[in-house]
Amino acid sequence: MKNYSFLILVLTMGFYALAETGKMNPRDPEINPFYKYDYEDCDFCGCGSTGGGMGYGTVGNENFIGLRYIYQSYRSRDGIFNNSPWVEEHFNTLQLWTKLPITEKLSLTALAPYQFHNREFNDGRTQDISGLGDVSLLAFYTLVKPKMDGMYANQQTKYKHSLEVGAGIKLPVGAYDRANNEGSVNPSFQLGTGSWDYIGAVNYSIGYKNWGLGVMSTYTLKTENKKEYHFGDQFTYGLNLSKVYNTLKVDRIIPFVGLSGEVYQENESFGLPVADTAGSVLFGRLGTEISIKKISAGVNLMLPVTQNLNDGGVEARFRLGLHLNYTL
Amino acid sequence: MNFFKKLNYLILTTSIILASCSSDDDAIQNLSGENNLTIEFDNSFNGDDLLLGTSTYVNGNNETLTINRFNYIVSNFVLIDAEGNEYTYPKDAGYFVISEEEEMTEVMLQNITAGEYVSVRFGVGVDREKYLQGAAGQGDFLQVAEETNMMWSWQAGYKFLNFEGSFTSPTVSTATDFKIHMGSHGSSLDNYKEVTVNFPTAALVSDALSPVVHFEVDANKILDGNTKILLSEKAVVMVDEVKSPQIAVNTTGMFRVDHVHNGENIDH
Repeated sequence: MKNYSFLILVLTMGFYALAETGKMNPRDPEINPFYKYDYEDCDFCGCGSTGGGMGYGTVGNENFIGLRYIYQSYRSRDGIFNNSPWVEEHFNTLQLWTKLPITEKLSLTALAPYQFHNREFNDGRTQDISGLGDVSLLAFYTLVKPKMDGMYANQQTKYKHSLEVGAGIKLPVGAYDRANNEGSVNPSFQLGTGSWDYIGAVNYSIGYKNWGLGVMSTYTLKTENKKEYHFGDQFTYGLNLSKVYNTLKVDRIIPFVGLSGEVYQENESFGLPVADTAGSVLFGRLGTEISIKKISAGVNLMLPVTQNLNDGGVEARFRLGLHLNYTL
Repeated sequence: MNFFKKLNYLILTTSIILASCSSDDDAIQNLSGENNLTIEFDNSFNGDDLLLGTSTYVNGNNETLTINRFNYIVSNFVLIDAEGNEYTYPKDAGYFVISEEEEMTEVMLQNITAGEYVSVRFGVGVDREKYLQGAAGQGDFLQVAEETNMMWSWQAGYKFLNFEGSFTSPTVSTATDFKIHMGSHGSSLDNYKEVTVNFPTAALVSDALSPVVHFEVDANKILDGNTKILLSEKAVVMVDEVKSPQIAVNTTGMFRVDHVHNGENIDH
């Protein structure tokens, strides 16, 4: 109940912010704030189908260091029958994240999560796990960089686009407990996958005036962990539409809407496939980011549009992300 | 420093990392020793969890059932590995009552030789050979069967299936008790049947691995199986030369493996 009232509060604030921004006029339409929703993907709970999918980056910032909180709500079947009871699952992640410039075209993205997860069984039992999650490190290289507008008409372009490719690694920092994979409940109730995983990412974005459209996809190749459990590979894709508003008081307000999808391959245990572990989910996304000088804050809500996770044994309800960044 | 040079470094680094953490040897190739294999009989009714007394279930014969008892005997387990080799569980220890009311829903087969097992064959009921060993030859199982209402009397023999409750149907509007007691009767009727069930994934047994094979057992198949058995026609079926063998065949259709858990010390 507490979670819901919090959600409603945040939603109200979000819509209020949206309504307010609608009244504003861009302070300077000449400025083309080219931005994108960077680095879509990846798992926060550290594993399987409970990946957060909220991205490696934010809407507006190029280089930053910040703190992000992500809440994910799921329910999963405790048993194999149509009338088996549901388990309520709450995944909380507090994440230190940064994007650091290395050269003009090369940057490093790092994510270090702290997880505190909880689940409630039908008979009143609860289970809590907490600790560090898997740390991800990614290098991004800019293949196409948007050109800055010059003073003269021939130095200005209507459309600006950018293309980035990235590669990285996810380190098995988070604890993996095989016991949490047993039974018929969500196999992803873990702090980490326990495996060395490899990540490839592509981000493309196009800007027109104050509008931005971003397309991104990520593939995470997962390997077998020491306990001989192998989470299925994960493919994440997303589409984001955003618009920048500039005001006198607030430098930038960037509301955005989008879609975000996740596809999971089947897990394997001791080299043998684990039934009902593949699946996919598509989220609708809504959020906004506000920047004042070097500080930016954002809120991001994801609601499932369609899903089929673990043959219906797991249901994603919603995800909520809050972040506070300092621009470098 | 151009892009390709950087990319080369990236690929090089990634390759080194990938090469340095080659996976452990495949578990399947190193199965040795022996361990337990647990079979969980999760009782259900047409996809729903079977709950005694409290729930009603509608079957394909348009009869509505409340189930108060669901007990059966399973026996003579034979595990079959990927190459077709058979591991026969010792007959003296090979008889088990599964009882929903007594919460006896697990069979633990002990000291199973290491292997990659892909199916199991077992009996529903007690075979004639065992019965002919006489009361003394039954060991502890005789007492277990008596305590779980799985015997008529020693002379009349074992009930292989004890399925009881009440029902209503389009023609029987007031709740009426039903009793399905199926077994072998003397020399005229041998209802002991064997069934072979494949596993969706192999069950791995070794010194380190003691798997759980999770069966979904569908009580609906007793009446709504190969042959449709109408309770409105006959609500108490015990010694019946026509219906009892039909129920015995239907009962073999109850068993399906939903999944296999591989691992050690599984808290299932």
